[in-house]
Amino acid sequence: MSDTDVGLQLVDVSHCHGDRTILSAESFVLSPGSTLIVTGANGVGKSTLLYLCAGLVPADAGRVQLGGASVDPSRPSDLIRQGVRCGFVFQQGGLLANLSALANVALGMRYHADVFGLSERSVEERARFCLGAVGVSRRDFHALPGRLSFGICKRVALARAMAVEPNIAFFDDPDAGLDRENASVVHDILASYRDDASVTLVVATNRLGLIERLASRMVELRDGHLWEQDLASRRSSALV
Amino acid sequence: MLARLGRVGIDATSSWVAALLTLATAIGSVATPGVAGRRVARRVTLLQVFFTGVQGLPIVTATALIIGATFMLQLIVAAPGLPGEVVGQFLVAVVLRELAPLVTVIIVASRSGTAIATELGNMKANREVLGLAAMGIDPGRYIVLPRVIGVMAGVTVLTVYFAVLSLIGSVVVALALGAPSLLAVQHGVAATLSVVDLLLLSVKAGGGGLLVGWLCCHFGLAVRGSSTEVPTMTGRAVIGSVFGCVLYNFAVTVVYYGLSGSLVQ
Repeated sequence: MSDTDVGLQLVDVSHCHGDRTILSAESFVLSPGSTLIVTGANGVGKSTLLYLCAGLVPADAGRVQLGGASVDPSRPSDLIRQGVRCGFVFQQGGLLANLSALANVALGMRYHADVFGLSERSVEERARFCLGAVGVSRRDFHALPGRLSFGICKRVALARAMAVEPNIAFFDDPDAGLDRENASVVHDILASYRDDASVTLVVATNRLGLIERLASRMVELRDGHLWEQDLASRRSSALV
Repeated sequence: MLARLGRVGIDATSSWVAALLTLATAIGSVATPGVAGRRVARRVTLLQVFFTGVQGLPIVTATALIIGATFMLQLIVAAPGLPGEVVGQFLVAVVLRELAPLVTVIIVASRSGTAIATELGNMKANREVLGLAAMGIDPGRYIVLPRVIGVMAGVTVLTVYFAVLSLIGSVVVALALGAPSLLAVQHGVAATLSVVDLLLLSVKAGGGGLLVGWLCCHFGLAVRGSSTEVPTMTGRAVIGSVFGCVLYNFAVTVVYYGLSGSLVQ
């Protein structure tokens, strides 16, 4: 498999968070356009694993590649210039508190407008479109995240990830803390990314409903390693 | 005991290496390509100049007037027979060359420095910095560099402003108390003041601004993940930058007088 045939690749990656081992010399390959669901007990390090995979934190050892490009957490803009557009939705937080919902969504596009070939007007239009697509009402466009409910903040984060038209999208517990209506919006977007052959999707979740909806390759993070899992065993462990 | 000392030494060294790395990454980000990113960073820089330079004007105005007035009052009361020319020389040497850059940078450290360290600490704790990285935005370019440049520019302008206002404050007291002769003071100031003083003031103010901006960004970003660390890091940032500025101010003064030959006499 050549580098360009790789959506996400971990090569002998080790990482510790404090005295907790998240990954221990783990190697893993995800082909472009495919979907991966990461499960695991609470506190096992699913979020940290996603940060590692997205190149947000440096690995203690080993190498992480996204779309064939090596990640360097100290220079995140390098990935964009190499054609890797990452979208990341955090479990909570992640929105800039001093920017409005609209400015949060527009920031990434505005910062890379020359790479994306966007004018200021199209940045604004696209930000408005993405917020509308996830059901954020117009009156919330100019509100700071601190003034918005958790559910709306999550939608804004989703819109921010969508705005850059990602070819690799990471979702960390995307429907946690959401009511059924909000969760359904998130599930629909995840399903559309799963069906989009140009998007490599990584979702960390333990929710059976979402796992069944996505029905994709699944691994469990346990004892510093990724163990392949199937839906049937996941169902039975959920029943237990 | 020796082991503890060694550990303290290692911790201090690694802390300084990390701080230098923060600055080096920010300076290195100047070379990062991307016109649009540069435009966004420039907007953040202008905002920082506004927060530090413009919003800091009222407190700097009041402090400069009071310090100038107090200094003149002390001279008149403690040394009543002092000639006006000498008073003018003292004003330049003490207020303009030393107090103006030092007091301004202390005001900025306590105003903008705390704001920067607290803001960045909270950004770190709320994963906003990770959020920026997730959008492909370099924190060095978007967060650190604009704040360092903004604080440097703000401190430099405020220092010159402080120097002028402190002179006005001292003149008002001299006029009110009737001694010493204003003309003689003016002669003393004019005879002592030179173009080099403007350079000295800029070096002290620019360097002080760099220290405040850099250290406050560094300690703010050193928060690991809990908002309870923010007050501790803010305290370290302000104390570190104020002490650093005092040392820097002293060093520049020594070098200045050393180069001008005054120390040899």
